[in-house]
Amino acid sequence: MRRNLRVRAVLILVIFFLSLIFLTPTILGDRLPNWWGRVFPDRGIRLGLDLKGGVFLLLGVKAERAVEQELANIKESVKEELSKDKVLVKGFESSDNTLTLNFFSKSDLEKAKELETSYEDTVDIDENNLSLTFTLKDSYITELQKRAIDQVKETIENRVLEFGLVEPTIQRAGADRILIQVPGASAKDRERIINIIKRAAVLEFKIVKDAGPDRESLLAKYGVKSPDELAAQGLSLRSGDTGQENEKFFITENEAQVTGQYLSDARLVFDEFGRPAVGFNFRGEGATRFGELTGENVEKRLAIVLDGTIKSAPVIQERISSQGRITGNFTIDEAKDLALVLRSGALPVPVDVEQEQTVGPSLGKDSIEKGRLSMIVGGMAVVIFMVVFYKLQGVVANIALALNMLFIMGFLSSFGVTLTLPGIAGLVLTMGMAVDGNIIIFERIKEELRLGKSPLAAIDAGYERSFWTVFDSNLTTLLTGLILFWFGTGPIKGFAATLCVGIVSTVFSNVVVARIISDFIYAEKKVSALSI
Amino acid sequence: MDLIKPDTRIDFVGKMGKAVFISWALILVCIISLIYHKGPNWGVEFIGGTEVHIKFSKDIKSDGIRTILNSAGYAPESVQQLGLPQDNNYLVRFASQAVAFEKIQEFQNKMEDVVKTVPEFEGANVLRIDYIGPKVGSELIRKAILSVLLGCVGILLYLKIRFEFEFALGAVIALLHDVLITLGAISLMDKEFTLTIVAALLTIIGYSVNDTIIIFDRIRENLKKATKLGFKELVNEAINQTLSRTILTVITVFFVLVALFFLGGAVIHDFAFALIVGVLSGTYSSIFVASSFVIYWKNRKRVPV
Repeated sequence: MRRNLRVRAVLILVIFFLSLIFLTPTILGDRLPNWWGRVFPDRGIRLGLDLKGGVFLLLGVKAERAVEQELANIKESVKEELSKDKVLVKGFESSDNTLTLNFFSKSDLEKAKELETSYEDTVDIDENNLSLTFTLKDSYITELQKRAIDQVKETIENRVLEFGLVEPTIQRAGADRILIQVPGASAKDRERIINIIKRAAVLEFKIVKDAGPDRESLLAKYGVKSPDELAAQGLSLRSGDTGQENEKFFITENEAQVTGQYLSDARLVFDEFGRPAVGFNFRGEGATRFGELTGENVEKRLAIVLDGTIKSAPVIQERISSQGRITGNFTIDEAKDLALVLRSGALPVPVDVEQEQTVGPSLGKDSIEKGRLSMIVGGMAVVIFMVVFYKLQGVVANIALALNMLFIMGFLSSFGVTLTLPGIAGLVLTMGMAVDGNIIIFERIKEELRLGKSPLAAIDAGYERSFWTVFDSNLTTLLTGLILFWFGTGPIKGFAATLCVGIVSTVFSNVVVARIISDFIYAEKKVSALSI
Repeated sequence: MDLIKPDTRIDFVGKMGKAVFISWALILVCIISLIYHKGPNWGVEFIGGTEVHIKFSKDIKSDGIRTILNSAGYAPESVQQLGLPQDNNYLVRFASQAVAFEKIQEFQNKMEDVVKTVPEFEGANVLRIDYIGPKVGSELIRKAILSVLLGCVGILLYLKIRFEFEFALGAVIALLHDVLITLGAISLMDKEFTLTIVAALLTIIGYSVNDTIIIFDRIRENLKKATKLGFKELVNEAINQTLSRTILTVITVFFVLVALFFLGGAVIHDFAFALIVGVLSGTYSSIFVASSFVIYWKNRKRVPV
């Protein structure tokens, strides 16, 4: 017996059976017996969106907004602290990541500097003449942004799961992006899914000061020309959609007394006319606050503001604390979806759709059919060529190729690599490239035979002398495959994955599997000639 | 069976002068085509916009699609046939202003109307809609160029470790040759430069260097033997000795690529086309570009030939 033959044979058998086990769910599909899942993994090869059809979204998270919000929070709390200490501030100026406080006197500034200790973890404070500048620390900015993105991801995850979509994947992509894939979603579901995902869902309750048909007359009432000037009075102008012609614009207070973060539940309900609406409940502190707000403002109007637009502005009849209702011109689906996003909470920062792909189901079916056909035709051509050219050794190479394909598919299955359309092309390509190693080795064996070596010695020399050539040439392809894996998204990543897995498995098949098969054929026999 | 008789001695090295001329001429054609077409025909992934993949049930020409979409109020930026002509698959691209992200639903509804009312569009099926914002596109162009360069540098470094420097350099020059020829062929055929083509280019870089490695390995092996041959003759011998495996390995890959080209469907068609060009160019350049560069370099350094 040749060296280690048994050990290598056992190794190959183990991989063979593992691959079979991992592939069984893919091969049997729905016919997989129930007990299988209790003993073995029952997931088949995952198909990418381009094969299954569905919606792919790349969201850009505006994480810089988290920094703006934090600066605004710091400004508010500084204001509050300073007024407690009776320190006068001449004015505030803010830029991207700084907040500057201007003072009237040196003594005010000195008093304000005592605040330093409570902010030292998050900001650097610089003094310049009569002003103090708070600069957010870089590490804190990174943390703020990371937290915002994580929160966006979690919120979207909740929304998507609650919507009941099948096997959605939601991943971070790069520094500030989130990649969402919803397989099987049709073009009709598309808009609903996108709305659920990207809706900010910021719900606010504010007391209405005034309402009117156009901006200008409303602004004139308060003696200002722009909404910015109005903001200085602690008020804001918003458009509304309450269905009444003479109420297109509203003036409310800037600050929301109660927001959607206190909601404990939201669901589809119907109003007294049988129209769909969203009913909501408050919990704990929210109920107290909402009770106070409505109790103090009976007979005034309460604006229900969703993402900056006033949805309705009913008159408060009596103190309400635990529940309310948002009405508007909703369809049943719209009201359901709105309830869902309100339940899952607001996105802390807005998101932008940077890329979208919607693939219909027919493209994938067609592609799989064509991929299968080209795999069969290309594969047969390779197999026939190898037998014609290399006789028995060609058969050896073909057995190794068949095992190689089994190993690759088994690996893709077991590690949950997604098979995409370019991935199928990668598999077909791998079949053509996989026998390259066999060819290099066989040609070398022929050469050694010509030099007058005995068959077994020629096989040994052929495998030994070709090893580095096979290794080097596959390594370069692996290298570019890895780069492609880094570069690509979606379908291209799928191609890179099959290519890389294919190469590793191919080297194994070329130098271990094919070798062991010929060792078995020629072991303990007096070989006078090779069939090559 | 032998493809090449074992005692074959073709004078490759003697033909290298002509080969270099042919290579430069081809590269010039590619560059002229690229200039004429104002650079690669960037796909929607790179320039942003909305791209729609439509399969028609009737034989409709690009101009027909253009006219009908124009009258529906959506002026396409480009209409491109995809795959084989009989597939009737087309890629229609709109500038991001024409069909902005918010308007995709409206466009879809309009398309459903058009398919119902316009006889030429009867049975047409929108297979896929891609929207790409401007930010992603410019990032992808940068990343695509970077990954092709990274691929070349990676191979340069690896071959530098495994061989001498001039071999590594020769191999990478041959790679750049293949990449340029492939780019030129895509440009000449007026095919779209998509992400899939970038995948093809990187595969070409990784794969077409294989033939070069086979030849270089043999040159190195021959160098170790006591021989009276000069370097040129030694290279020529190495090319001849490995000729059958250089060709055979390409043949098997060629089989599967041709299968993909004709049977793989519209999306894979261009990918297979790029790979066929790149792989053929790769075999040619292993013999004529990479090896002749090594000879040139050795001569330059006045190693006795």
